Amino acid sequence: MSNILVWAVWIFAAFACIASAVGVVTFRNPFYSALALIGNLAALAVLYLLLGGEFVAAGQVLVYGGAVMVMFLFVIAYLGDKTDEAPWAGGPSWQIVGAVLAAAAVGTEVIVAIGSTASGSLSHSAPIARSFGSPEQIGRLFLTNHLIAFEVTSIVLLVAAVGGVVLGSHARVTEDDARA
Amino acid sequence: MTHPKETWWVALIEVGVIINLVMVAFAYTTWLERKVLGRMQRRFGPNRAGPFGLLQPIADLVKLIRKESFFPASAHEIPYILAPILSTFTALAAFAVIPWGKGWTVHGYYIPGVVSNLPISLILIFALGSIGIYGYIVGGWASDSKYAILGSMRTCAQLVSYEVSLALSVLGVVLMGQSLNLVDIVDKQQTTVWFFIPQFVGLCVFLLGGIAETSRPPFDLPEADTELVAGYHTEYSGMRWGLFQMAEYINMIVLSSLAVTLFFGGWHFPWVPSLDKFGPIWFCLKLAILVNAFIWLRASQPRLRYDQLMRFGWKILLPAATINALVTALLVVWVK
Repeated sequence: MSNILVWAVWIFAAFACIASAVGVVTFRNPFYSALALIGNLAALAVLYLLLGGEFVAAGQVLVYGGAVMVMFLFVIAYLGDKTDEAPWAGGPSWQIVGAVLAAAAVGTEVIVAIGSTASGSLSHSAPIARSFGSPEQIGRLFLTNHLIAFEVTSIVLLVAAVGGVVLGSHARVTEDDARA
Repeated sequence: MTHPKETWWVALIEVGVIINLVMVAFAYTTWLERKVLGRMQRRFGPNRAGPFGLLQPIADLVKLIRKESFFPASAHEIPYILAPILSTFTALAAFAVIPWGKGWTVHGYYIPGVVSNLPISLILIFALGSIGIYGYIVGGWASDSKYAILGSMRTCAQLVSYEVSLALSVLGVVLMGQSLNLVDIVDKQQTTVWFFIPQFVGLCVFLLGGIAETSRPPFDLPEADTELVAGYHTEYSGMRWGLFQMAEYINMIVLSSLAVTLFFGGWHFPWVPSLDKFGPIWFCLKLAILVNAFIWLRASQPRLRYDQLMRFGWKILLPAATINALVTALLVVWVK
């Protein structure tokens, strides 16, 4: 019973994931594309939930689905949806580049999947502890095994924040100068 | 912690009961608000429908449902319809993880005191809150109206700004409770002390951030009627507008419940453990006091200006929340 439920949810989430990803690149209106991207992130969060990563799923919704995408929507709604005037949107050459890259990614995944099936590493499931994916365990990993990556990321984010403030204040100064 | 397993249909009934109770609470919060506001402004408030105007929320509901749902011709149809639904859904779903009792065993069936006891329930509430914002911004954008889009811009900027302080303000509680699970946090307060004493700064930041997060006066910039007509829901009418109102009030109730849970011992009664079996009553009492405080603020405080709101959020509330979290972390480690 529960196994069937897991399959049903997996199929639903996986198809939602692919459909929304296709939606992101095919919608003409950027606002709808952003909404599809949110749907994609939400479907990914469901897949994380199925894998037992409750904390990662919540973080995905909170950080990417919530905070980051709100900014996307904010900017798109603010600038309006002038799709015709956007010269960078989908020229034919970029479509070819994108198609080649996507085909390469899918090809790699297929090769990896076939390879790991042939080697038999997919046939038995790895045992995981009850506390797998809990906030405590993730926090401990961040502060022990992955401390350097964690700290470097925080510095990168700090640089980005300072950069944002500098760019923003610069824009305000020139605005005042223009007015004066 | 081990709990007896609950039967699936018990859980289902519990979900139904809780959702309906929250909706009744919403209906009577609107009544309470109008009544208290009226009294504070030396008028009667609703007093025609039923005794003390108690049937007013039902009359309002019938009116909203029967009203013509006006639809802007240039609106983006699907997002326009889905936006209020999304907002209401996230507001209602957040209540699932708030504990309101100890749990009881009736005729051998275990009834837990919380709909869903997750290890990360606190983060879930914040995640649902951040999804709820989309209802406002999508609704404003899909209406294709200048006032609506301005309103949703403001809502978005305000909610994103204050969400940061709100999340940081509960960090102190999480550090002291050593858990992200609301049930554990409530139990921890019973064995130590209610967290509003050691976390007083956290409580102040949480309540201020919470008022802004639910766009209640004096932080109701998103729907400042003198400037924006009505904000993001300018183009909504009938029950679709009603759903946005419902989301707003339920968010207020959820936020008050969260404050009760995190800072005021949840459903516990102070000093007398034997009274804990009436948990839901104490929970509702504490909740009613907090909701009343929200209404009181609305009656007594003028609305902030937009730049004041942003300055207050980023330059006062955020540093206060950060320092509070840092000091708490240091003290927790030091005491250990």
